[in-house]
Amino acid sequence: MKVLDNLKRIFETKFRDIFTGNTITLLDFSRNTANVIELKEGNKLTIDISKGTEEEKKKLKEEVLDLIVQEQDQVFLMDKSSQKTERIKGNLPTRDDETLLKFYKDKLDPEMYKALEVSFVVKNAFNNGEDIVELKRDIASRYPAFGNNICNLVTGGYFDNHFRDLYNSMIDDEIFDINSYQKKVKNIVCSLPYTVFITRFKSYDELSGEVRFKLNNLKKYGAGRLLLHGIGRENVNTSNSILDEYKDNGAVTIQKEINPKKTIITATLNF
Amino acid sequence: MKLSKVTFSISAREDILELYGKSVDSEGFIIEKDKPSQRVLTPIGEEIQINEWAGIRKGSEAFIKNDAFSLIELAKKLE
Repeated sequence: MKVLDNLKRIFETKFRDIFTGNTITLLDFSRNTANVIELKEGNKLTIDISKGTEEEKKKLKEEVLDLIVQEQDQVFLMDKSSQKTERIKGNLPTRDDETLLKFYKDKLDPEMYKALEVSFVVKNAFNNGEDIVELKRDIASRYPAFGNNICNLVTGGYFDNHFRDLYNSMIDDEIFDINSYQKKVKNIVCSLPYTVFITRFKSYDELSGEVRFKLNNLKKYGAGRLLLHGIGRENVNTSNSILDEYKDNGAVTIQKEINPKKTIITATLNF
Repeated sequence: MKLSKVTFSISAREDILELYGKSVDSEGFIIEKDKPSQRVLTPIGEEIQINEWAGIRKGSEAFIKNDAFSLIELAKKLE
């Protein structure tokens, strides 16, 4: 280990006993109790720059840090960041994730795409039973309006099919521009707590119950709207039937958007 | 590119910055020690606060942030 050889050269006269008879396998820069270098936990050499002379500091920079970073092309990180990077590396998007990311790359708003990519890492970490709190917090703090929601939608598999189907349905429309797709995706992602996805994988009774349940909850918490979103003729019909349940309800007004081919429905129940 | 087995702890980060001729301003941003008005930028041009600093990689002092967005870019480049 060339780094260790250089450290020996810098400190051997002063701390010969540390380098004699000890197998050093770990190096860490941190504060020590007494000396510029100390051996801890048997094999960990800790270097406290603040206790070094000006000459030692200069040598540490040139012969240790520059060697690691510039000559050996290694990334020199804080211990916690190094662990976080290892965890991210172990959960990078899989081949299937990459196929999806490639699909969305030129379709989503660039900021939403960035959030999507990190959300795949969160999904993989979650599936591997790892702690995802910090990663989710990073996404939510950069994108407070949709960060948490996009994570939940990726984990729920909505980017595997739903948003892809939405795009494929929208491009069939005679008037299509990518901005309208981006706007629709953003609207759905931002409205996740107020959204019910109408899907053929759930029965009519389940979907109708979900709408009723969310509506009642949202009433309690003062949010005045619920979004229904469906893709495909069958789901558009199901959505219409659910909306019919509220047509005579004076407390609910319905705004409905259906594309000309009747394959996409977005309806808002205001109450 | 790979992760170095040599790391630093939170207690040493200002010492490391000093070796690179940097210090921290009153708002917590990393600055050039000999030119305090100049804040250090990440490779994508973001200012960087000491509490969001992850470390350094090859380049003309390429400072990296600790958030998932920066580290995913780094992780993709690692061997």
